[in-house]
Amino acid sequence: MHTIEWLIVIASLLPLVSSMVNIFFGKKVLRQNAGWFAAGVMLVSFLLSFVALVMWMGGGHTEPLTNLRINWIPIGQGKYLQLGVLVDGLCVGMVAMVTFISTLVHVYSVGYMAGDKRFERFFAYLSLFTFSMLGIVTANSIMQLFVFWELVGLTSYLLIGFWFEKRGPQLASKKAFVMNRVGDMGFLIGFGILFYKLGESILLPPVSGGGMFEAIAKQITAEGYSFTNPPMWLTAAGIGLFFGAIGKSAQFPLHTWLPDAMEGPTPVSSIVHSATMVAAGVYLTARIYPILTPGAHLFIATIGLITLVMAACMALVMTDIKKVLAYSTLSQLGYMILGLGAGAYSFALFHLITHAFFKCCLFQCSGSVIHAAHHQQDMRYYGGLKDKLPVTAACYFICTLAIAGASIPFTNIALSGYYSKDGIIAGAVNYGEALSSLGAWANLFWIGPLVIAYVTPFYMARSFALTFLGRPRDQHLYDNAHEAPWMMTVPQVCLAFLAVFAAIFPFLSLINETREYMVSLMGTFAPGVQVWVQPGTESAMHHGYHPVHAGLLHGFAWILCIGAGVLMYKDGMTISSRIVRLPVIHQLYTWAHNKFYFDALYDVCFVNAGKLLAAFAAGFDRLFIDKLVNLAGSITVVGAMGSGWVDRRVVDGIVNGLARFAQNCGALLRLVQVGRVRAYVMVMFATAVVVTLIVMVITLVPGASAAP
Amino acid sequence: MTTMLNLMIFLPLIAGIAVLAMPSREQAKWLTLGTSIVVLIMSLIITAGYISDGASGLAYYNEVTWIQAINVKYATGVDGLSLPLVVLTTALSVLIVLASWNVEKATKAFLALYLFLMTAMLGVFLAMDLFLFYVFFEVSLLPMYFLIGIWGGPRKEYAAIKFFIYTLAGSICLLIVMLGLFFLTPQHTGGEPLWHMIELQNLPIFAEGGAYYGWAKVFFWLTLIAFAVKIPAAPLHTWLPDAHVEAPTPISMILAGVLLKMGGYALMRITYPFFPDAAQAFWHIVAALGVFGIIYGALCAMAQSDWKKLVAYSSVSHMGYVTLGIAVLTTAGFYGAYFQMIAHGITSAMMFFMVGVVYERAHHREINRLGGMWLKWPGYGGWSLVCFFAGMGLPGMCGFIGEIMVLLGTFEAAGAGQVGANAAPTVYTLGILASSGVVLTAGYILWMFQRVYMGQPRPDYDHYEPVNAREYAIMTVLGIACFVFGIMPKLVFNLTEGTFDHLLNVIWPVGQVATAALGG
Repeated sequence: MHTIEWLIVIASLLPLVSSMVNIFFGKKVLRQNAGWFAAGVMLVSFLLSFVALVMWMGGGHTEPLTNLRINWIPIGQGKYLQLGVLVDGLCVGMVAMVTFISTLVHVYSVGYMAGDKRFERFFAYLSLFTFSMLGIVTANSIMQLFVFWELVGLTSYLLIGFWFEKRGPQLASKKAFVMNRVGDMGFLIGFGILFYKLGESILLPPVSGGGMFEAIAKQITAEGYSFTNPPMWLTAAGIGLFFGAIGKSAQFPLHTWLPDAMEGPTPVSSIVHSATMVAAGVYLTARIYPILTPGAHLFIATIGLITLVMAACMALVMTDIKKVLAYSTLSQLGYMILGLGAGAYSFALFHLITHAFFKCCLFQCSGSVIHAAHHQQDMRYYGGLKDKLPVTAACYFICTLAIAGASIPFTNIALSGYYSKDGIIAGAVNYGEALSSLGAWANLFWIGPLVIAYVTPFYMARSFALTFLGRPRDQHLYDNAHEAPWMMTVPQVCLAFLAVFAAIFPFLSLINETREYMVSLMGTFAPGVQVWVQPGTESAMHHGYHPVHAGLLHGFAWILCIGAGVLMYKDGMTISSRIVRLPVIHQLYTWAHNKFYFDALYDVCFVNAGKLLAAFAAGFDRLFIDKLVNLAGSITVVGAMGSGWVDRRVVDGIVNGLARFAQNCGALLRLVQVGRVRAYVMVMFATAVVVTLIVMVITLVPGASAAP
Repeated sequence: MTTMLNLMIFLPLIAGIAVLAMPSREQAKWLTLGTSIVVLIMSLIITAGYISDGASGLAYYNEVTWIQAINVKYATGVDGLSLPLVVLTTALSVLIVLASWNVEKATKAFLALYLFLMTAMLGVFLAMDLFLFYVFFEVSLLPMYFLIGIWGGPRKEYAAIKFFIYTLAGSICLLIVMLGLFFLTPQHTGGEPLWHMIELQNLPIFAEGGAYYGWAKVFFWLTLIAFAVKIPAAPLHTWLPDAHVEAPTPISMILAGVLLKMGGYALMRITYPFFPDAAQAFWHIVAALGVFGIIYGALCAMAQSDWKKLVAYSSVSHMGYVTLGIAVLTTAGFYGAYFQMIAHGITSAMMFFMVGVVYERAHHREINRLGGMWLKWPGYGGWSLVCFFAGMGLPGMCGFIGEIMVLLGTFEAAGAGQVGANAAPTVYTLGILASSGVVLTAGYILWMFQRVYMGQPRPDYDHYEPVNAREYAIMTVLGIACFVFGIMPKLVFNLTEGTFDHLLNVIWPVGQVATAALGG
């Protein structure tokens, strides 16, 4: 095994170790040090992965490292489903990002969770959560990815439901898990289809020594299809697997769990919404990229587009600061998914990384605000908090700029969010142009993200202005507010720093490395076909940044919309409340405010219908099947009684009748046996007479003796 | 080794008689515990021997003529199909004796009956002669009948009789098949009737085109019914909820943990190997029954307000995977079905134990009257989390392996192989429906978990005595087993692999299985 692999494996396993230590010794031995212990282990893990990152970049590797493979589950004939690691540019980049953010979240949590009665348990879960995510990004087969995928589901259940004494977290954690399981069901179906077509070679990477992609190439060639004319099952498998991503990355229509997941402690939100969990879906889509057919791409792009627009609309109207950020995450995830669907592979993943930094920071800032505001989360009670929380306000503003895609137009100088979002929009424009078959509808694929590029700065500015600017609207809250302890502010500052400068770090080139390897391998197996996406889309994309084209379209969005947002909301909701009273806008506002009624719809269609069906099944079981069994029992009993009657009356009757007959005969005979000699003589004589007469008759009548 | 094998079967029987003669309860308990530990050690020695001998098929076979006239032998032996279940039985037995420590009513009789049951269970898994198998299969009913009927809850008589008659009705079907084999197998052997369960595999006379293929179909259905009752495959399951609800905790554990497995074991030992061509002809009906069981059991579980009944229905749902995995006639399906039996043996026993811990103190099982158990006893709550999530099939725990392999095996069946070339639409439908089980399972388990474990503890818990060390020991062992088998499924597969590959080759000659594994 290569040193880099060792480093990655150890970096991934360390959080598991720290989690176990915290579970078994946290309460008794570590106590208040549990948080620092976990954070320290995470830091070591980050340093290891950073070393791995540096080594990888200096190593000049052209192929993924996949030396570690363990046979796990036999599937007959000496074949196995395997576990192992896959180390490539994307992997080392993601591991570094995840461990970095997780370390900061751990440190932040030491401050945020101080005094909680299950303090050490929180860190056990948080480390386990990180471990699960690291398992996903290092997985080398779909099987292994699914294993850690489910572990992420479990740990998110534990974290979201961390305060399970209260009803809100109980419901939210259950909802998150079940919604994810709906996605998993799709994943399993896709996985099943691939398994039946490919058998054991459902490894993730297009490894030159015979990975999944090669197996697919062989399979579809054997079936008489080609990469330009792919078979149905491949599209179905791709969409099935992507359903898993819909669940984890909270895409439409399984998005409703993510805002509810705000019931968890804020550090959980900050990690769920950035480096882990929601990132897993995007990562999965990126890893299965080679098998996604144009049909699957269209599906993915559509889902991304719907989520992106819908979530932004909801973010516009929420008043809970965490809910705004939650919907903003949804919207940004929509960007990433749309980007993947549209073929902007590298930029979508790059956006995943840049977004992780600024969204984590935003959530930590919101946590600091909530901490300061004594768990008041409604922005209508905030206002003017910048004087009380200067560091937090500054970080929040920087990240607002980053998510808005701030740049100096017509130059290459910009915050990290600009580069990644620009790439996605450019890809979407290309994709829309290439999709000639859809006619005018195809234009939606670039109009959507472009419009939302204007909406994003606006709602972010709205939340910033409502929270930090203007006059305090709740004087009591304002007076008691104070800046968070250093454990909470330092991570914020670090993340804000990266929100600005992440683009300088070579994440994009790492991702591109993976992408180019994938594309070159595709060229080997399917000569002539560069990628699954329509020709023209990719080629225009990846020759570096080209801000002029897209820059003209949205380069000024951040100035215009942040300005508008700040102006409109710095004095609270007075202006906006007048606007939403306008007729059409009011309608839209009501819809968005009620989350487009998805929760109500699901409650009726699935939860209640499910319960009804369950009640029906249970009733059917008790009243029909079991009754049938009891009926069979009763019939047997009745039959037994019947046969008993027959036995008594008929069978016994015959026996008894015979006995009685014999008895009666005896009684008759007894009449004869009177015991007197004269009578006996009489009988003897009579008998002799009769017998003599008979003999005479027989001998005298001629025909009688002739009888045989 | 063969001596030890037979000693292992009858030691509990002897000990059971000795227990009755013990002067005090305490001594009886210790004797029972000691016996179960000795039996566990014996089974482990046999396992170790099996591995170190490099055996892959039938091993330690021995026979003694029993009923000369009809060629019945007392024949025992182990192979990969029986060994993991034997170890499961012996290991669970130790825990179950511990779980029975507090039985007050007629303790000695209880323990003696339990030991008799152990003999019957081990006999079922180790018998290699069909007649002997039948005897043990039937004998296992009796102790169970008394254990439920005497030590059970309020409706114990009803439950016990229902259990007994239901299973007996199934056994009649098996008896008919045995009569049939008695009359027909001499045609194959040219003399004596055949009872050896390995030699009975895939007889030409029962194969498609063979002289008695028509009878083979009838026999297939009869044996299927006989064992489907035991599994229990819906809709032949209704004895199970009643039996579980009325049975005392340790008996629920053994019922779910081992007795249900007899059904799955017998399907893999008798129904499918004896009549593979008939199985192929009817695969879709059986598979549909399996899928129906998965979904129906889960839905019924969701609607229960009685905690133990919920767990009982979860058994119906989980055992549906066993039926499905066997029915689809693929390697992954067979492996998965078998693993699912082991995994379910661990998780369901643990679930019933978890329910029992609370029931013993609360004296009711109404889910809606519980809540806050996690805060009340954090350790107990933690292990419960492990147990229920393992049952839900979370990776890293034992439930996952069986479930995913059965699902994959189901999809694998679409690639022609055993189920016919035009099966793909049926297979996809079944696979998609079976996959919906993962959502339903998560639904009922999480809902239950929320209502029982989350929230604040209720004031009436105050007088509950804390969970004691004995109880923690039981849940710790089972909980660790959940992880061990989830992380290292090879512990089971190493034992079964050779036997399974051989079995599949015998019942579906080599070329076919290989293509099925490759997906056509």
